[in-house]
Amino acid sequence: MRTNQRLSLEKLRRERAGAYLRARVLSALSTALLAAVINAAPSAKERFFETKIRPILADHCYECHSVEAGKSKGGLRVDDREALLSGGDSGPSLVIGKPDESLLLTSMRHTDPDLVMPPEKPRLPDSVLADFARWIAEGAVDPRKKLEGGKGKIAHDFESRKRHWSYLPIVEPEIPLTKRLDWPTSDIDRFILAKLEENHLSPSPDAAPDVLRRRLSFDLTGLPPTEADADRPWEESVDLLLNSAAYAPHWARHWLDVARYAESNGKEANLIYPHAWRYRDYVIDAFDNDLPYDRFLVEQIAGDLLPAKNDGERARLLTATGYLAIGPKNLASQVPEQFTAELIDEQIDSFSRGLLGVSLACARCHDHKSEPVTMADYYALVGIFKSTDTRYGTWVDTENNQGGHLVRLPNLPGQIILTPSLSKEALAEVRARLAQLNEDEKLAKKKAEEGRKSGTDPQKVFNAALSEALRIYWSRGPLVGQLETVDDTGKALPLCMGVVEAAKMCDSPRYDRGDLLHPGQLIPRGVPSLYGLSTEIQAPEGKSGRLQLARWIIDPENPLTARVIVNRTWSHLFGVGLVETEDDFGRTGAAPSHPELLDFLASRFRHNGWSIRWLIREILLSHTYRQSSFWRQDAFEADPDNRLLWRVNKRRLEAEAIRDSMLAASGELDVRPARGSLVATLPIQSAGMVPLNRSLPKDLDGSLHRSIYLPILRDQLPEVLQQFDFAEPSLVVGRRDTTYAAPQALYLINSDFVIARATALARRILEVAPDREARIEAAYRYCLSRKPLASEIVLAQKFIQNAKDSDLSVWQDFCQALLASADFRMID
Amino acid sequence: MDSPLSLSRRALLKRSSLGLGWLAFSALTARDVKAATSLGVPKVRTHFPARARRVIVLTMRGGPSHVDLLDYKPDLERYSGKPSTRGTNAQGANLLGPVHPFRRYGESGLHMTSLLPRIGEHADDLCVINSMHTDVPNHAPAVVQMHTGSFQFVRPSLGAWTLYGLGSENENLPGFITLNPPAGDGGSRNYGNAFLPSVCQGTRLGTGQLPGLYSLFFKNSDLADSGIRNLENTSRSSAQQRRQLDLIREMNEARLAREPHQPEVEGMIESFELAFRMQMEVPDVLDIEAESQETLDLYGVGQGRDDRFARQCILARRLVENGVRFVEVASPLDWDHHTLISQNLPKSCAAVDQATGALLTDLKRRGMLEDTLVIWGGEFGRTPYAPGLDGRDHNHKGFSLWMAGGGVKGGINYGATDEIGYEAVDNPMHIRDWHATVLHLLGLDHTRLIYTYGGQEFRLTDNGGQVAKEILI
Repeated sequence: MRTNQRLSLEKLRRERAGAYLRARVLSALSTALLAAVINAAPSAKERFFETKIRPILADHCYECHSVEAGKSKGGLRVDDREALLSGGDSGPSLVIGKPDESLLLTSMRHTDPDLVMPPEKPRLPDSVLADFARWIAEGAVDPRKKLEGGKGKIAHDFESRKRHWSYLPIVEPEIPLTKRLDWPTSDIDRFILAKLEENHLSPSPDAAPDVLRRRLSFDLTGLPPTEADADRPWEESVDLLLNSAAYAPHWARHWLDVARYAESNGKEANLIYPHAWRYRDYVIDAFDNDLPYDRFLVEQIAGDLLPAKNDGERARLLTATGYLAIGPKNLASQVPEQFTAELIDEQIDSFSRGLLGVSLACARCHDHKSEPVTMADYYALVGIFKSTDTRYGTWVDTENNQGGHLVRLPNLPGQIILTPSLSKEALAEVRARLAQLNEDEKLAKKKAEEGRKSGTDPQKVFNAALSEALRIYWSRGPLVGQLETVDDTGKALPLCMGVVEAAKMCDSPRYDRGDLLHPGQLIPRGVPSLYGLSTEIQAPEGKSGRLQLARWIIDPENPLTARVIVNRTWSHLFGVGLVETEDDFGRTGAAPSHPELLDFLASRFRHNGWSIRWLIREILLSHTYRQSSFWRQDAFEADPDNRLLWRVNKRRLEAEAIRDSMLAASGELDVRPARGSLVATLPIQSAGMVPLNRSLPKDLDGSLHRSIYLPILRDQLPEVLQQFDFAEPSLVVGRRDTTYAAPQALYLINSDFVIARATALARRILEVAPDREARIEAAYRYCLSRKPLASEIVLAQKFIQNAKDSDLSVWQDFCQALLASADFRMID
Repeated sequence: MDSPLSLSRRALLKRSSLGLGWLAFSALTARDVKAATSLGVPKVRTHFPARARRVIVLTMRGGPSHVDLLDYKPDLERYSGKPSTRGTNAQGANLLGPVHPFRRYGESGLHMTSLLPRIGEHADDLCVINSMHTDVPNHAPAVVQMHTGSFQFVRPSLGAWTLYGLGSENENLPGFITLNPPAGDGGSRNYGNAFLPSVCQGTRLGTGQLPGLYSLFFKNSDLADSGIRNLENTSRSSAQQRRQLDLIREMNEARLAREPHQPEVEGMIESFELAFRMQMEVPDVLDIEAESQETLDLYGVGQGRDDRFARQCILARRLVENGVRFVEVASPLDWDHHTLISQNLPKSCAAVDQATGALLTDLKRRGMLEDTLVIWGGEFGRTPYAPGLDGRDHNHKGFSLWMAGGGVKGGINYGATDEIGYEAVDNPMHIRDWHATVLHLLGLDHTRLIYTYGGQEFRLTDNGGQVAKEILI
């Protein structure tokens, strides 16, 4: 009876499948006719090929019929379209538009006993055959490049890709000659002026001193200028600010945008990373000490593998590798292998976009569509990260199925440890509860087994076992996690996020379509052959190869790394990079506006010890930087995007600078580094619960420290950051967007934060200045670092009218208007 | 025309040739669609005539059992109790027929569960898609994929793309609002703008359900409603604030007068005006007590223990009526019926049936249904077999949802699963295809709704997506 049932169902399924297949082929045929007329979108068809056809060919046919394998049995290759069309000994394999006449499909259908492919193997599933029928009917679109018929690697068109400008070596160019000789004060200016002259444009006059002072201060420190900065020679001002304590917290934040820094996982299981702030502080220290950029990168990729002079340096180097651990992860995933593959993909994507300006992760499922990156390149990197143990913390709970570990730091004097210690009693209790759970588990297993044997209602047994198993699983995670953060006596351990070498080194197979169910041959760990430097640098036996990867990134022959960081730096000082697509230097990215200038700076940068401070100083000392931002009709018409830099771009302050300068204006800013992070002290692991925590400020601010110290929870950003276009912390962001939406205005006129700043500012000016005009002047000085214009004084007087000293509210409203004004938010 | 702003406006128009309005210059550099996404400048730029002007999505979280609700399979009923031949984790599991009877509704005779009679009254307006499928059978990724097209990457949600493409219809309100969204399963990712301009982001009204088990420990009353932030200034009267806003405007206009062509400053000026108008209008729109008693009764406000969903459905109607482009409402109970489905399915149905039916009635009688697309569905379906005895597992290979109004054919089933409802076989509709179809109804070509960010071009449907032309009127 049961067998009959199954048979009839199976029969029905086959019939349906047959009908379905016929219907699909028929409709596909009519589509083919239509397609000829309307020229349907090729991308969809290419996609179809890439997802449905290519993997099958690669999996089942390449072995005997491809250049890659060096075989063409029966005279046939199937690794490009022309080979399929010209076919092998039996004739053409494909008749376009006619699936039934195409030998490729005939052989796959196993209808002709003399032509059965793949040989001595079961027929491929009906769905695959239907896909091939549809593919042939719809024109057999096949974007694969034509290959040379002989043996050898598919290096052919990759060679031409490698000739893309950014993959070519950096060559220090000649300094161009300009007609005007009085304007340039540096070589940068000569490059800029030469281009302007070429286009019959002239540079703008210098900006006014107070405008320059404000621009310089915000660019270097993210804060308004102080009185002390006034009236110094330009070079002295630059050096003073570059070496000030306010410089690092501002420039470190630029790097954190690239490093997709956050203190929670984001995604569907948004758990906090209570130790992430150590990495943030590492970056601030690195900028404060002007750590050479090449060294900075090596530390972040492979700090754990570098020698350390002492425990302090060891701790610093371990913390640096937090870079690889802070990305978003699919913690809810129930399949560990898939989880690891996604984690590694995120690491590869982030470091390649961030450091090289090219995404290598696009070669996970197929050779890169536009860059000279093969799947082999990708899986050579996967091996490196598979041989690396990523320690991101978090423990198993109802949201998290992929609890991780942390890196233990050496004990240091004065070390900040924010996670709680456990009292002796508490520690004993945690251990006892854990032991109890282990007992419970044994008992539950026994019970379930007995229940099944005793013939109790299986649904009941199942329900009871399931709820008990879940209870144990979810209760155990936090206990195990907690124990990992303390020593044997319950004292909290110094821990950080980061990476270490894995217990076992391994290469990764190349997965067809990136699908873990389809492993191919093993690819030895190594680095991409992106630009000449081929995979020769291979991972040594017993090592992951991360150190080799880091050295490859900073290799003198690597043309990308220096260009990318020089361009990022330029972008922060001018609002947009010489290469507009700061995170994409590949063939899909924009071409540089001044390629020679970019190479000049990249080359000089490397000669000057990869010093970011040197680079910034060099740019700021140029005449180009000191131009006015004033709009000019003639130049605008010739170059509306100001790509040639006929003026300096006007920019809106970034979110952090808006907040910090409000605190500076009101005299409340605490410039001292904050101690750790609010996130480290949250009592619960789920970031989704943060809005319910009444002890936290609603806007997740409530601090007077600089904004870089605010908690950065993915999806739960402090309000001021969220409102003013903070960099999405799950992505590599070289340049932030700028928007002017109404919720920003609501924030400025109604938020508790801005009202509190306006109140403090009003009190401040009432205190420091004796009369109304002096107060108006003081407000302008604190907010805009300049004196008010006569017309502005009139406007202010009109608003304040006859308000008495005791009437704080009118002064408050006036101060808030200044904080909300365009002048406050714009840098000229 | 002669305002001080006109010069730079002209310059801008000249540059973009499409007239972007004031907003988001640096952000809006998409190659093709350059619709203004501002709240302040309603600019509808469709690729072809739109059938739907607005969308209401009723999200049935947890995976409603399509084989019990919308996908009638006589074979499944017939073979109930027999071992399943389908399904990777179905070993030893038996098929389970519908746990409550199906019946036919309307002139079209659509098969639907008897547990949704009020929705069934609208059968002739429903387009039931029976061939949905998605990539993963886990809640969080499937919910995020349903909303953003991708569970792996951070991408803008469907509502954000809609707003990006069409802009808002009411310059006093946000264009995309989500009511009580769950905090788990991706949380704000599901209404996020990702890299799209921040104005495309969904504005959340009310704190939503909490992740997973946490919800058991909190009562509704613990979840303080948080409306739009900063809408109120408690320390200033409206007149005082107007005076302050005038001062800000005068300061900003003085800046514009000193120097021409500052589009960002124009943007700031308009943002304050919109902010002020929002303060006026939003509280009224949110006040559902303004509805007639008859309407409140129709939806079921004040009836039963928890009338939140009824209130939210009325609010959804009020919002779209006032020009909000995209509104999402999450179901109050979830549909994740692994166990005791025969007892719990009726509860989940009862929690949404009346209000959903009322919403359709209400939209229709106001003449709004024809250009309002209503969508009802969850992130995946459930297996035709029961791994326990009275429960179903997640099934992403085939499931159902329905759409009504907004240019879709009514009273039809589209696509089909196999004979037991396990896998979509006839006109399979992947999430991408569904997204493509929804955008199409809104007049947007999913292959041309592109945004460039960080040098990459992004689409909601990535490289895929087929519009289901057969369901369009």
